[in-house]
Amino acid sequence: MSGPAQSPLVDVDERGSMARAREFVAERPEIILIVVLAALILLTGAIEPAYLSVNGARNTLLQAAPLGILAGAQTILMLTGGIDLSITMIATGSAYVAANQSPNGAAIAILLGITVGLIAGSANGTGVAIFRVNPLIMTLAMSGILLGLFTAWTQTILQGSTQVAPFIKLLGTGSFFGNRIPYSVVVWALLAVILIWLLKRSGWGRLIYAVGDNEVAVRLAGVRIWQVRVSAYAAAGMLGSIAGILLAGRTGAVDLQLATAFLLPSVAAAVIGGTSIFGGVGGYAGTILGALILSVLNSMLTFLNVGQAIQQIVYGTIVLALAWGYAGLTRRT
Amino acid sequence: MTSVALTGREATWRRALTRNGWVLGVWLLLSVLLFWYATLIPRFGQFQVVSISKNSLPLAYLAIGQAIIVIAGGIDLSVGALLLLGNVVAARFMEDQALGTVFAIGFVLIVGIAVLNGLVGYIISVSGVPDIVVTLATSYIWSGVALWILPSPGGGTAPQVRWLFTGSPSGIGGTFVTPILMMLIPAVLVYLFSQRTRLGLAMYAIGSDSTAARLAGLDTRRTKVAAYAVGGAMAALAGLATVAITGTGDPRFSVGANATLNSVAAVVLGGIALTGGVGSVLGVVAAAVILIMLNPILTAMGINPNNAQVIQGVLIAGVMMVGGVATMMRERRA
Repeated sequence: MSGPAQSPLVDVDERGSMARAREFVAERPEIILIVVLAALILLTGAIEPAYLSVNGARNTLLQAAPLGILAGAQTILMLTGGIDLSITMIATGSAYVAANQSPNGAAIAILLGITVGLIAGSANGTGVAIFRVNPLIMTLAMSGILLGLFTAWTQTILQGSTQVAPFIKLLGTGSFFGNRIPYSVVVWALLAVILIWLLKRSGWGRLIYAVGDNEVAVRLAGVRIWQVRVSAYAAAGMLGSIAGILLAGRTGAVDLQLATAFLLPSVAAAVIGGTSIFGGVGGYAGTILGALILSVLNSMLTFLNVGQAIQQIVYGTIVLALAWGYAGLTRRT
Repeated sequence: MTSVALTGREATWRRALTRNGWVLGVWLLLSVLLFWYATLIPRFGQFQVVSISKNSLPLAYLAIGQAIIVIAGGIDLSVGALLLLGNVVAARFMEDQALGTVFAIGFVLIVGIAVLNGLVGYIISVSGVPDIVVTLATSYIWSGVALWILPSPGGGTAPQVRWLFTGSPSGIGGTFVTPILMMLIPAVLVYLFSQRTRLGLAMYAIGSDSTAARLAGLDTRRTKVAAYAVGGAMAALAGLATVAITGTGDPRFSVGANATLNSVAAVVLGGIALTGGVGSVLGVVAAAVILIMLNPILTAMGINPNNAQVIQGVLIAGVMMVGGVATMMRERRA
C-alpha cells in the first residue's frame, strides 16, 4: 500500500493490479483449487502420458468417490465445529455387516450396513451434544470401541461371509456408458447434490453453519442445539457407512484395515477445500475439489514409483503447502 | 458464599484441593488399580512393577509433551510420528557403537527433534493454519522420513541405554528403580518448568487467552515455538525409550498413529482441557500409566483382549461424560 489514503476512492485507484487480483481470488477460493487441480493433472500427464485419457480419469474418480464421501462427513461436522476420528472404523464396520448379510441379498446388506453408521454416529452425537465430551475424544473412544467390537465379532456373530454381494461389487467397481462412468461416482454425485442442497438451501443446513459460527446466539434464538449436533453426527455416520460399502465393493472382500488409510486424507480434503476446522465457514463444493486434488496427487505419486517413504513425505509437504497458501490468500487483512 | 466464613488456612486448603482435585483423583485411581492388580494375580513382585513402569515410559513421555502443547493452546497430531523418527534414528545409528557415541546420538536426537518440532510451531504461528492441520501434514512427513531411514524393522542400541530405560541391560527383568526415575525426573522437571518459570506460565497464558496474553506484552510466537520444542524433545525421549524396550526400530505408520491417539487420551484423562490453559503435567503421567495398565489388568481378569479395547474406549468416553455433566451442573448452579 502506498501511504495514507485521502479518501476511500483514491485508495481503490492507487492499488496495484496485483492487489486487485489477490482480492478477486480471495473472494473465490475455488478458483485456486481448480488451478491447482488442473496443474496436478497436467503434471501427472507429463509423467505418464497415458493418464490423460478416459481411463485415467475413471481411475482417479474411482479413488476419489469413497474419499469424497468420507470427506463430506468431515465437512458437515467441521462446519458445526466438530470432527469424526471414528469415521473410517464406521466405514469398516458397515462393510463387515454388509458382507456378512450379502447372502440375504444386496438390499438388506446395504440397509443393515448403513444402520451401523446411524447407530455409531448417533452415539457420537449423544456424547458430544448431550454429555459435552470433546469431539476429538468422543470419536477417538468410539473408534477404539468399534475396532474392539468388530475384531471380536469377526470370530462370533459376524463369522461367515467376507465377500460382498455381486450388486455391491458392481457399485464399487462397475461402470456404464461404454465403461466410462463408474457407478460409485454416480453414487457420489447423487450424495454431493443432496449434501450441497441441504447445506445451502435447507433450514437444517443453515442451523449447521449457525451452530458452528456462534453456538450461544443460536441457543438464545431458541434452537435445541443438541438436536442439530446429533443429527449432524448421525448423517456423518451414514455417509461413512456408504463410503465403507463402496470400498468393500471395490476390493470385493472386507478386512479390518479396509478404510484405515482414509482417515487423515478425509480431514485433509475438507481442510484443503476451505472448510474451517473451527466451524461455520466452508462448504462441500470445496471439499469435492480437495478430494479430487488428493486423489490425483495419489495417482501421480504412484506413477512416480518412488516408494512409500518419499510418497508420504511429498504428500505431507503438498498438503501443508496447500493449506498454508490457502490460509495466506483468504486471510482478511 | 460459605468461603467467607472459612478461616484463612482452611480456605487455602480448600482452594488447593479444588484446583488439584482432578490430579489427585487420577493418582488415587492409579493406586487403587495397582492395589487391585496386585490382588488379582497370584504373584505380584518386582517383575510386574518393572514391566508396568517401563512399558508406560513411551506413552508417559508423549503425554507430557502433548500436555505442554495442549496447555499452550495447540494440539500435536505428529508426536507419534516423531516417536517413530526418534526410534528408527536411534536403532539405525546406535547399533554396535561405542558408549560415548551412543549417548552423543541420543543427545543430538533429543535436541534435533526439539528443533524440528519448534520449527513446526513457528510454521503454525506464521501461517495461521490450525495446529491440527499442520501437525496432521507433518505426521505424514516425519513417518515418511522414518520409513526412508529404516525401510524395515531392525537395528539396535547399547545395553547401557536399555538399562537406563528398562532397568536391565537385556531388557528383561531387572530393577524398577531406573524406569521409575526415568519417568519421574522428566515429569517433575517439565512440571517445575511449566509452573515456576516465566516461559512456562506464558504457555498457560497464551493457552487460556492468546489475545489477552499478546496485549499483556507476551511474545506469543516465541512461547508457542517453545511449547512445540518441549513436545518434540519428549517425543524423542519416547522414541529412545521404545528402542530401549523393544531393542529394535519399527517404522510402521500405525504404531505412530496409535501412539498419537493414546497421547491425546492420556492428556484429557489427566485433567487437561483441550481448549488450553488448564491442567497440570503431573496428572497426565498417572493417566498414561493407567491406560497402559488397563491391558494387563483386563487380561488378568480373563477378559478377551478385543473386549479390553472396547472397555478402554467406554472408560475414556464415560470419564469424559461424567466430567461434562459435572461442568454442566456447576454452570447451572452458578
